[in-house]
Amino acid sequence: MLFHTWTFLVFFAIVYPVYRVSKGTRFELWWLLAASYVFYGWWNPLYLLIIVYGTLADYFIVVGMDKVGHKKWWLAASVVSNIGLLAFFKYAGFITVNLNLVMAGMGLSYAIPSPGVLLPVGISFFTFQSMSYIIDCYRGDVQRERSLLRYAVYVSLFTQLVAGPIERASNLLQQLRHDRTITREDITDGLSLFVVGFFKKVALADYLSLYVDKVYTAPGEHQAPALLLATFAFGWQIYFDFAGYTDMARGIARTMGFRLMLNFNNPYLADGLGDFWSRWHISLSSWFKDYVYIPLGGNRHGEFSTYRNMALTMILSGIWHGANWTFLIWGVLHAGGRCLTRGLEQTPFYRDRVPRFAKQLFVFTFVMFTWIFFRAANVGDAWLIISRIFTGGLSDPMFPVVALGLVMVLWVYQFMYESKLRWMLELTPVRVGMVVAAIVYMAVFTAPGAQSFIYFQF
Amino acid sequence: MTHVPGQPGAVHSPRGVDLRFGSNAVRLSSRQWIAVALIVLVTFALAPSVWQRAEPLPAGADERIPYDLSNDYWLFGRYAAQAGERGDTLLVGDSVIWGEYVTKHETLSHYLNAQPSAARFANLGADGTHPVALAGLIEYYGGDIARRSVVLHCNLLWTASKKHDLQTEKEFRFNHPQLVPQFVPRIPCYGEPYSRRLSIAIEREIPFFAWANHVRLAYFGKGDLPAWTMEHPYGDPLAALRPNMDRPEGSPAHEPISWTARGIEKQSLAWVDLDTSLQWRYFRRTVELLRARGNRVFVVVGPFNEHMLEEKSRETYGDRRRAVEAWLEGQGIPHFAPALLPSELYADASHPLAGGYAQLAQQLLANEAFVRFLGGAAGR
Repeated sequence: MLFHTWTFLVFFAIVYPVYRVSKGTRFELWWLLAASYVFYGWWNPLYLLIIVYGTLADYFIVVGMDKVGHKKWWLAASVVSNIGLLAFFKYAGFITVNLNLVMAGMGLSYAIPSPGVLLPVGISFFTFQSMSYIIDCYRGDVQRERSLLRYAVYVSLFTQLVAGPIERASNLLQQLRHDRTITREDITDGLSLFVVGFFKKVALADYLSLYVDKVYTAPGEHQAPALLLATFAFGWQIYFDFAGYTDMARGIARTMGFRLMLNFNNPYLADGLGDFWSRWHISLSSWFKDYVYIPLGGNRHGEFSTYRNMALTMILSGIWHGANWTFLIWGVLHAGGRCLTRGLEQTPFYRDRVPRFAKQLFVFTFVMFTWIFFRAANVGDAWLIISRIFTGGLSDPMFPVVALGLVMVLWVYQFMYESKLRWMLELTPVRVGMVVAAIVYMAVFTAPGAQSFIYFQF
Repeated sequence: MTHVPGQPGAVHSPRGVDLRFGSNAVRLSSRQWIAVALIVLVTFALAPSVWQRAEPLPAGADERIPYDLSNDYWLFGRYAAQAGERGDTLLVGDSVIWGEYVTKHETLSHYLNAQPSAARFANLGADGTHPVALAGLIEYYGGDIARRSVVLHCNLLWTASKKHDLQTEKEFRFNHPQLVPQFVPRIPCYGEPYSRRLSIAIEREIPFFAWANHVRLAYFGKGDLPAWTMEHPYGDPLAALRPNMDRPEGSPAHEPISWTARGIEKQSLAWVDLDTSLQWRYFRRTVELLRARGNRVFVVVGPFNEHMLEEKSRETYGDRRRAVEAWLEGQGIPHFAPALLPSELYADASHPLAGGYAQLAQQLLANEAFVRFLGGAAGR
């Protein structure tokens, strides 16, 4: 079930009033769990088996951790269980294909049969959310949740189940433990977030995808300008797509009295790769920071260890995104970029003399370059795109001026939002005008038929 | 997380969790939301009627819905309303009425208008509207033709096989899925996901969405504005959006040659039993709907191209046609089954060529029941 569909609207129109009535009663959590399972099972009811398994396994592992002792063993069991789920559903096909290639290279005639399993929507998100709870319990940062029902709601709450933000027990579980007051401001803020997210997805991401898909499905048929523009367009598409989803998720949660964490903070205005990752998919970046980078030693053991830990974390982040060599290379590139910009930031010249705008431009260009690997169907296509960008001819890219104009307007909006001119965007006629224009544009000029979100595949 | 005293909405975040509102969201207060809701509601309510005034329809006697706008149901509603206001007798049906192989000056309505008769006929045919879709078209978009005289065409081609009758279990894309029942009765070959069906069911109840669909179809081709800009990357969408429905119509939608010249061979069709036919059930529903709305209804059955049928198939067709006539008779609905046209005047199984429409018009105007119907007798 996608947020930007009538189906969700009808679903929410049923769920919300009952939730409001049941809020604060014993029925509340049951209702939220039922709604969340209907929401998730809408894709495929069999997926529910996975989420139920993950919930039960992690809940009882923490019970064991608390009651039996030997915390490390329980933690190991949880990691094996969760990573095992991911490995089977997400990476089994990739591992099989590559093992078969290796075996064929060694002259072996045997080929491992392909597992042929479908990737359940959002598995990487709820698995990581569940793991964060276990690690926090192991560290003693959060208390064990005694109610299996509440824990099940924490793992599966429909607002952020399939594409995050990847919540922490210290935030969401804590909110589930207490009754929430829903203020008028929660409703209006929720609506504001939802409408902006809706616009990002329907009017911008889906629009740009038309050009990106056309070019990236046949990169050999396009020349440098089209490939370059499609790469930039994809950079904006994935931002609008994912940030749009997050805004909608946070908006829906807000109307229910839940405050989900910020997941995007104008990432394309970052002036360093470190800054970029503190603005892009913040819930995942902070997850890797808290549960991978810091346990590896963080920056506590000298320069070499710091760079090594940073690089390992970025590479793991790349692999998290998908089972393909392109994601691994994307992670490696970001690891290199992260180390490079950290090094540069430590030099007085770069830190003090290079204008912020130049740094922003450098980071933006670098991130756009790395998206080539993220979007390309395979490594061969990615190399083809890069080589054609630098050596290809100069034919008319046929990029829609309207799309360019929309992206430019949004970019200017972001710059203004972070500048002294922000007051202009906060005038009532401007705000009301922008929202009315967005709603009317979507209702009149975009065709019905919802497209899925890019990050659902992860 | 704790609430900060004296600052509604302000919160302390747990460690490592940023709970700020958003980086660049347009944050509206409740008063501002009320203003947005009012403006949007007024826009939604007024836009179709304002647009209608700015976009007059061509008023010629032979006008018909442009072929590429067959899915533009808001436009159908406007054509229907305009013809209804003029007091025309409305010819309703699929592409046989619309005139698939002929120009707009060679259709049945044209030849009927060309005959000395007091009545004026309007072509309300829409390409591809099989009876199940036609029932939806009349139900959701044909409200403005209530109490008018309607000549309804019955094309038995839609019962010529299980596939025509939408009864196969194998899914396929048929015409006008937006007009068919989305949930009940179940159409086995209809494969749209339930989310899409729900969207269709909701959007066809709200006129604004039909108008928005019209704007997209009529001015931005088959897709929407983004898709249009992909085809016209440097085009000005505002220039494309100037209201204008005066479209010159050139040659027919398909080459106007006979079925034999087209290389079609004689066929044996697997006619569906009328008792189990979905299309026939919905044809009857259309008749009942029209009558319930106070329309006077006259039904024209065929003429199907029986030259194209093998002997056995032709006999079955004859049985079906007689069963249809018997039902119409039983319901007291005036009707006429024109005589078979000469073979060379058919373009395929059911579409006449220009000469065929001329003959059909002559047969109709010579039919006593039809003349009585035009004179205002019977039909309710």
